[in-house]
Amino acid sequence: MPGEVPPIMARAAAPPSPSMSEPAAAPELPAPAETPARATTPRAIKWLSLHRMQLRALLLGAISLAIFLVAWHLLTKYRVNIYIRFLNVPSPEAVFERAVRAAHDPKFFQHVLLSCRRILLGFLFATLVAVPLGLIMGRFRLARDFIFPVAEVFRPIPAIAWVPMSIMLWPSNEESIIYITFIGSFFPILLNTLHGMTTVDTVLVRAAQCLGARERQIFREVYFPATMPHVFTGLTVGMGVAWVSLIAAEMISGQFGIGYFTWEAYSLVQYSDIVLGMVCIGVLGLGSSALIRGVGRLVMPWNR
Amino acid sequence: MRFMNLTGAAATAAAMFLGVATAESQTVITIGIGTQDTTTNTVTTGTIVRELKLYEKHLPKDGKYASVKFQLEWNNFTSGPPVTNGMMANKLQIGMMGDYPLIVNGFTFQSNPESKSQLIAVSAYNMYGSGNGLVVHKDSPYYELSDLKGKVVSVPFGSAAHGMMLKAMQDRNWPADYFSLVSQSPEVGSTNLQEKKIDAHADFVPFAELLPFRGFARKIFDGVETNAPTWHGVVVRTDFAEKYPELVTAYLKAVIEANAWFRNDPKTASEMVAKWTGIDKEVVYIFMGPGGIMATDPTIKPEFVKDAAEDAKVLQNLGRMKEFDVDKWVNDSYIRKTYAELGLNYDKQRASFENYEVKGEDAFCKKPVTEPRKAGEIWVDGESIMPFSSPACTLGAYSDFKAKGKKINVAYVYDTERGIKLFADQAFYSIGANKNEIAPFLLKKDAEAHAGKIGGKVIGFADALKVAASGG
Repeated sequence: MPGEVPPIMARAAAPPSPSMSEPAAAPELPAPAETPARATTPRAIKWLSLHRMQLRALLLGAISLAIFLVAWHLLTKYRVNIYIRFLNVPSPEAVFERAVRAAHDPKFFQHVLLSCRRILLGFLFATLVAVPLGLIMGRFRLARDFIFPVAEVFRPIPAIAWVPMSIMLWPSNEESIIYITFIGSFFPILLNTLHGMTTVDTVLVRAAQCLGARERQIFREVYFPATMPHVFTGLTVGMGVAWVSLIAAEMISGQFGIGYFTWEAYSLVQYSDIVLGMVCIGVLGLGSSALIRGVGRLVMPWNR
Repeated sequence: MRFMNLTGAAATAAAMFLGVATAESQTVITIGIGTQDTTTNTVTTGTIVRELKLYEKHLPKDGKYASVKFQLEWNNFTSGPPVTNGMMANKLQIGMMGDYPLIVNGFTFQSNPESKSQLIAVSAYNMYGSGNGLVVHKDSPYYELSDLKGKVVSVPFGSAAHGMMLKAMQDRNWPADYFSLVSQSPEVGSTNLQEKKIDAHADFVPFAELLPFRGFARKIFDGVETNAPTWHGVVVRTDFAEKYPELVTAYLKAVIEANAWFRNDPKTASEMVAKWTGIDKEVVYIFMGPGGIMATDPTIKPEFVKDAAEDAKVLQNLGRMKEFDVDKWVNDSYIRKTYAELGLNYDKQRASFENYEVKGEDAFCKKPVTEPRKAGEIWVDGESIMPFSSPACTLGAYSDFKAKGKKINVAYVYDTERGIKLFADQAFYSIGANKNEIAPFLLKKDAEAHAGKIGGKVIGFADALKVAASGG
């Protein structure tokens, strides 16, 4: 922040640098150099103060990414060997070079698109099943006691262990893959929804009952809105786990998907491609989480 | 036993944390070895050496190693690339894998500033490429490669079996999209084939034999049809080998002893290997037993070097690899030195392509086995593996054992034309007027061609048994 704001303010409030500001300002406003500066200053300041935190977050994010890239570059350039070894880790340049080549390859986009579709479908099904199930389990003790133990047994099973079962369970490979991403995102969504239900203030429920609300109304007016923030936490975590499951899931595909791309790079020992796949999954994961947060903000305007 | 394992694990964990300190001091040398237990033709360089503690036996104990404590770390993988990865990370110094992964290993090491890798020995080979194969579901209507046009064929990319597929397509001038070729690991491909999600699966040792043996697949293409050798070999990090050449030769001595151990009693050895690796003993025996698909021989034959150069070219054409100097990568000085130290003739062994063969007295037809590649064997459960002098005698004896109520594990015969060892119950039999001339074949089309020539017909195992029983 201290690096960003002062220069702009300095430029806006400082007439003694006419060589810079005058040519740019002149065609726009015929008035003397002093006036436009004064006119734009409050607006700029207002805009800045309004978006100060966002700007700061953006800047900090950019700086931390830059530091990461520089550190990666230096560690691999000098092949640092301090217990952790960077001897054979591909450099950011090498990965970038592969990325440029991939960007010109329509097959690469096919990988990415197919993966996105699989994640989307798996995640959508998980949401459609896990959220209602979590609500019901949270409301009715009986359902919770009945389902919870099974869910707890299935939850810790890693995606890769599901590969052979999934192939046998589903008629097509595409379904097997979607099933594994489904399993990955299902449990975080379920548990968070369930947790959200337990945090609902019982006083509110009782108040609603006193006012004559029926079960369905209580659900709609009390439980659902109160649980929403937790549901969205679950969705964000679930989306993350769905991407985590992707490599295991796409081992089945044998042909397409960014997880498969990474897996194939491993079987041919192509380190740059492995990292490219990792970065790609990371970026896609980031994007999809941001998307969910965005939807969350739209759905829950009160939660801003 | 359980307690022992736990303390062992604890010791390993402790060693990992203390790794810095111990690795630097000269008193402990850690040797990491990457094996492929399930890839049956590497067992003499990996599994057997580990289980019989042969490396420990041959490690030097005097001279500059007098005060040294050796720590062997065995790591098992199901394919070559993870071994290469471990070697690159210097967690493994010695690794074994098939021909294609070996080339990738050597190439990957070219960019390693610490060390290169070199091929120091061969585990086992088949001069004509048998060992790799393509299987289909047993109920499928496919009997030869061309039946699979436009179908989904999976193969682990970058493996020896991938090389076989590429070569087969090249030989036939088929375009790259003749099949829909997809990459699946053996585990995934096997399950997919069982579930009929794919039309065919091509794989390396032992899957083309294992899957038919497990009862749901049929081999329709054998690597022998590519007529290019297939082999597995041992690579070593050069920084390790140059610093401790004695440890490399000690390892190779252990390998030679493991080979001798297997050949000395192939039945017991197959049973032991089956116990150690989980691959059925009957499958181990078809590869490593007498007249088996694989010949174990550590010498690096010029044919393999030539083959490696061709494999490298295939990988280059696929854009998977850049320049790679095969000759610089092959280093037979260690295996030569080992042979010299053991008083064996390296050049003689290098020039020889002989395997050990089926021999003995045929108890059914009452005559000795004279033509080992026309012979047969029957493994009676709980008893020995008996040799028979011809396919007809083998099938006759089979019916005889059945009639006596004995349980038969497996019977082997040889492909009449190609001399590959087969499971008798998977073979196609061509039979003419003379019932003693029954001829087994791996491929239906070969059997049909033979039957056409002798004016006979092609029958399956069950019918062949009936014929042999009535004729014998």
